[in-house]
Amino acid sequence: MAKKWGQYVRKWMTQKMDLPQDVMMDLPRITMIGQVHIYIENHRGLLAFSDGEVRLMIKHGQLLVKGKAFVIKTILPEEILLEGKIDQVIYIND
Amino acid sequence: MKNQWIHIFSGTVKVKLTGKGIERFLNQLTKNGVSIWNVRKHGSEAVTFYVNLQDVKKLRIPARDSNCKIRFLERAGGPFFLSKLWTNSGFFIGACLFLGLIMLLSNMVWGIEIRGANPATEHHIRKELDKMGISVGKMQFSIDNVESVQRELTDKIGALTWIGVELKGTTYHFQVVEKSEPKKAEVIGPRHLIAKRKAAIVKIFVEKGEPVVKVNDYVLPGQLLVSGLYGNEDDMKTVAASGEILGETWYSTKVELPLKSTFQVFNGSEKRKYSLKIAGRTLPVWGFGDPDFKEYETEVNDHPIKFFKWELPLMVEKKTLREREEVTRIYSREEAVESAKELARKDIKNHLPENAIIKGEKILHQSIENDKVKLTTHFTIIEDIAVGQPISQGD
Repeated sequence: MAKKWGQYVRKWMTQKMDLPQDVMMDLPRITMIGQVHIYIENHRGLLAFSDGEVRLMIKHGQLLVKGKAFVIKTILPEEILLEGKIDQVIYIND
Repeated sequence: MKNQWIHIFSGTVKVKLTGKGIERFLNQLTKNGVSIWNVRKHGSEAVTFYVNLQDVKKLRIPARDSNCKIRFLERAGGPFFLSKLWTNSGFFIGACLFLGLIMLLSNMVWGIEIRGANPATEHHIRKELDKMGISVGKMQFSIDNVESVQRELTDKIGALTWIGVELKGTTYHFQVVEKSEPKKAEVIGPRHLIAKRKAAIVKIFVEKGEPVVKVNDYVLPGQLLVSGLYGNEDDMKTVAASGEILGETWYSTKVELPLKSTFQVFNGSEKRKYSLKIAGRTLPVWGFGDPDFKEYETEVNDHPIKFFKWELPLMVEKKTLREREEVTRIYSREEAVESAKELARKDIKNHLPENAIIKGEKILHQSIENDKVKLTTHFTIIEDIAVGQPISQGD
């Protein structure tokens, strides 16, 4: 109950005060450069990594990136830069 | 995100990870603050990535907890590059030695060529050069510059009129002109011989022509001595008169010599400084500080360093500081007169041809005034007084 209420306050604040949502609400911020690069901030860890698929933990659920010839250029606790040919970015909500 | 090329300096390692739970392992690493990059999957249970050399230790503990195996594949960057350089340093040292050797050999004397000298003079020159330290295999730094070599050779070898010294690359070229070169026979037209100055004839030796004067005759300058015309009046023939007419001539010279004179000499003590000149800047190598003496003269010798035939912008500069001393010479009266006479003799010899003889000398006037010896000497000289005077064909 308290958690939900907190979230409500945050949502209201971002709307009313015009703050960036990724900061306030712990959402992933995804930057893509064409199909070549994808840069994801605010992830919660790597779940699966292979040539054609990367699965990342995010705040609510998972993020699935599909494509070809993936290479993780950099990985930091909350950031990841992926290179390859990206076909799909899918949100999986629990 | 950090700049990745920075890692090149600290060194990087390529790691191969095999086993299950690779993703968990990678998460663990990033949480521990290990920066990893270029993660690539190979098949289903193998992954390769790069880590910093100093982070390699941090792989151990997570690896123990997981089911993965770690292998290190490649090592690159700073420390590994250095150790590689060390193992390959032989090549580098070799290259340096090679360049050094070439430089050394480029600055040696490799040949001495003497042209225009007969074998005897050439031998003499070679011996003299050996004494001066110019021989095949000597370093060019140890040799004086070309001008002083030239001066020294002309001074030491009497048979030389002139010697041209040239340093071409590693070879010294000597171009010799000898004094005893055969003269070209001059073609002389018909001429008289006339007196060049007033004289009393001492000896007449005529090769061609008709002598007009006799021994003990007194002649004036321009007077006819030997006629180039002979035969009777109807049938005159002309000839180039030649011969030697020795006459007694008279000269007087005035010499002044101070009793006290000061001049500057080098007393032999010197200091040498060596420095390397790189593109106009001077880097002292040997010989520091000021010399112990105050009065000195500086001689600078630059030796450019050569590489093959090219001169590098490098120079070895040799500075010689020679101590100078002032010497005062004081003559007594007798000494002064004696050296004034000697001076007069030298003076007169400079004016005379080589084969002239000083027959007698007489001091006309001698005085000592203001610490100066004044000497007027009268010389009696026997010399050839004949000079040619062409006969113009129109007469």
